[in-house]
Amino acid sequence: MDSKAYRLREFIDPHDNRSLVLDASAGLSLGPLPGLEQFSTAVEPVLPLVDGLVASPGQAGRLAGRTRSDAALLVRGDWTNALRVPDFVLPPETTSHIPLLNPADALDLGASALVIYFLLGFEEQIEAGCLRETVQLALQGAQVNMPLIVDVQPIGPRVVLHQKAIELGVSYALEGGADGVAIPWSSRGSFETVLAMAAGTPVWIKPTTLQEASAELGEVLDMGGTGLWLDQRLFASRDPVKRLEEYRAQIHQPEPAG
Amino acid sequence: MNAGLQARFDRLFNRHGDGRAVCVAADHGYMSDVTPNVVNLRPVTEAVIQGGVDGILLSPGQAMRLASYFQGRDGPALIVRADWMNMPRLGTSNVANAVPQRLLTHQKVVTAQQAVELGASAITIYLFLGYNDQIEAIGIEVCARFVRECHQVGLPCIIEPLAYGGQVTGANSVEILTLGARMAVEIGADALKIPYTGDVDTFRNLVDVAGVPVLVLGGARSDYERDALELFAEGLEAGGSGCLMGRNVTKSPDPQGMVEQLCGIAHQGWTVDRALQTEQWDLIKLKAHPAKCTGCMLCVVACVATHDDGSFGTSLSRLRIDPGRKQGQHRVMFCTLCKKCLDVCPTDALRWHPQSGAVELLVDKCTASDECVKICPTQVIVHSDTGIQIESGESLDWYPVVCDLCGGEPECAIICPTEAIFIDQRKELA
Repeated sequence: MDSKAYRLREFIDPHDNRSLVLDASAGLSLGPLPGLEQFSTAVEPVLPLVDGLVASPGQAGRLAGRTRSDAALLVRGDWTNALRVPDFVLPPETTSHIPLLNPADALDLGASALVIYFLLGFEEQIEAGCLRETVQLALQGAQVNMPLIVDVQPIGPRVVLHQKAIELGVSYALEGGADGVAIPWSSRGSFETVLAMAAGTPVWIKPTTLQEASAELGEVLDMGGTGLWLDQRLFASRDPVKRLEEYRAQIHQPEPAG
Repeated sequence: MNAGLQARFDRLFNRHGDGRAVCVAADHGYMSDVTPNVVNLRPVTEAVIQGGVDGILLSPGQAMRLASYFQGRDGPALIVRADWMNMPRLGTSNVANAVPQRLLTHQKVVTAQQAVELGASAITIYLFLGYNDQIEAIGIEVCARFVRECHQVGLPCIIEPLAYGGQVTGANSVEILTLGARMAVEIGADALKIPYTGDVDTFRNLVDVAGVPVLVLGGARSDYERDALELFAEGLEAGGSGCLMGRNVTKSPDPQGMVEQLCGIAHQGWTVDRALQTEQWDLIKLKAHPAKCTGCMLCVVACVATHDDGSFGTSLSRLRIDPGRKQGQHRVMFCTLCKKCLDVCPTDALRWHPQSGAVELLVDKCTASDECVKICPTQVIVHSDTGIQIESGESLDWYPVVCDLCGGEPECAIICPTEAIFIDQRKELA
């Protein structure tokens, strides 16, 4: 086993090959978000409950002092304004996507993986840039054994077939060399296709809403998916710790006896 | 050509010593929407390797993921797709595309050095002609940069000229492809991957003006296997050096069989008709994993028990185990269907059995010359321990005992507890 596999095992439990990841890096492009105004205070109670926490490069530094019972650090390696909605204080006139870190930087930050977006449905150059970055970061990551997780975002106006766009994003991520993918949940049939394509590469789903997360997670785990990839919406919800405890129990439930 | 470049070039084009290569393009998931061949990439890759493919084109990510398939002297050559484009997804009216693209985009993605580090024996890159002047200029710049990088690290650069866009018509496509082939070579391409022009004469002209090995690509999958094989055979007839065929193989219901047919045409001079016949052949041969042999001799006992009811000892066994000191050192010797016994028999008493394809002794023709016993490289043709009277009334003091593959169900392979001897498919008579 190489050190990339060791790093993956930091946030994918080797006993069940399942994982609960929380992406708390949205402040990088969306600023202070409800529930995440004070980053350290917000993430402290959730650290023991999740397997991996995605943080921006700046906030990653505030996560020093984690113990073995706390989540592994996954660092966000890019920035985009594509996540901003039209009524955002600074709505995007043109879409931008900028790489911030390389795998060696992630290594310096003590991260267990580097996370980047793969944006679909925007201008051709945005998609081309995402593909180029995926390949380059995967190749550089192979040199230093830093896993690359691709967060597929089929959110552009040109997306015609949402489900197929998710599959396309997974295909591009895998062909580019990703070590794991996080995708929006769409349907059981589509997820089967994704799992077949992934052929053992970890696949997390991002639930449609927090209310539907448990049901969607049940299907994912039943089919052999890796687990749940939550985002900033969790922090805005009522009692995020309780929700996480429930998700965690569902993901890492002990095998029934006998 | 520097030594590294030549070595990698030979790995691709000279595996059979004939300067030809049968390659499969399996990089569609890198550019197209998701299709079954993309979803099933791993089994498709295994199948084409079983078929004897000489090279496989993969994206950088899959090259990392499937690296183990390319290891070893017998492994196929890895060709890395070094650029990326969105051509298969162009067209806003095409509802089959999940995220349709409006403008052709073509970019360099990896460096030649990175391709070498992935274990590549070559890279391929596109050169678009007929879309617009800017795309053509970008293509030239990208190709020139790749050729320079490739030659610095000793990596063959395969350029793929494509006629695509508003400037391309049915009337000028052959001329544009020929132009592209020549431009690619002038830039420094070591080989070309190019669509078939449609007839032998124009393709021969393209090959002639190129002056480097030309691999024909298959294009969209044909409904008929014969079409793809004929296209390939015509490409070879025109002077092509092989193929880099994608969907006609990867979307085929039998990718392994398709590669076997292509290899037969390229490396053994089969006609298309001959290649298509292979599907009907159902012969077997014995193979061995010597490392798995424990020296238990069950195979030898089973052989004698099957053929020589009531005989004592194992002297009449049609196979033998040369024992080593421990497991992994035993040598498993059986008939390899090498045909040498058939060639030396002075009376043609040995032949291929018409049904089983095993060696068959026609006892009445045998003169007990001993030639077959002496020539057998594995020394598994043995003397029978009794004489025999033949049809003419004469008697032979002995006759050769040859392996008949137990009529198609070889007991040695069936009984072997460790699968050290196993049955493999055989596609042609040796």
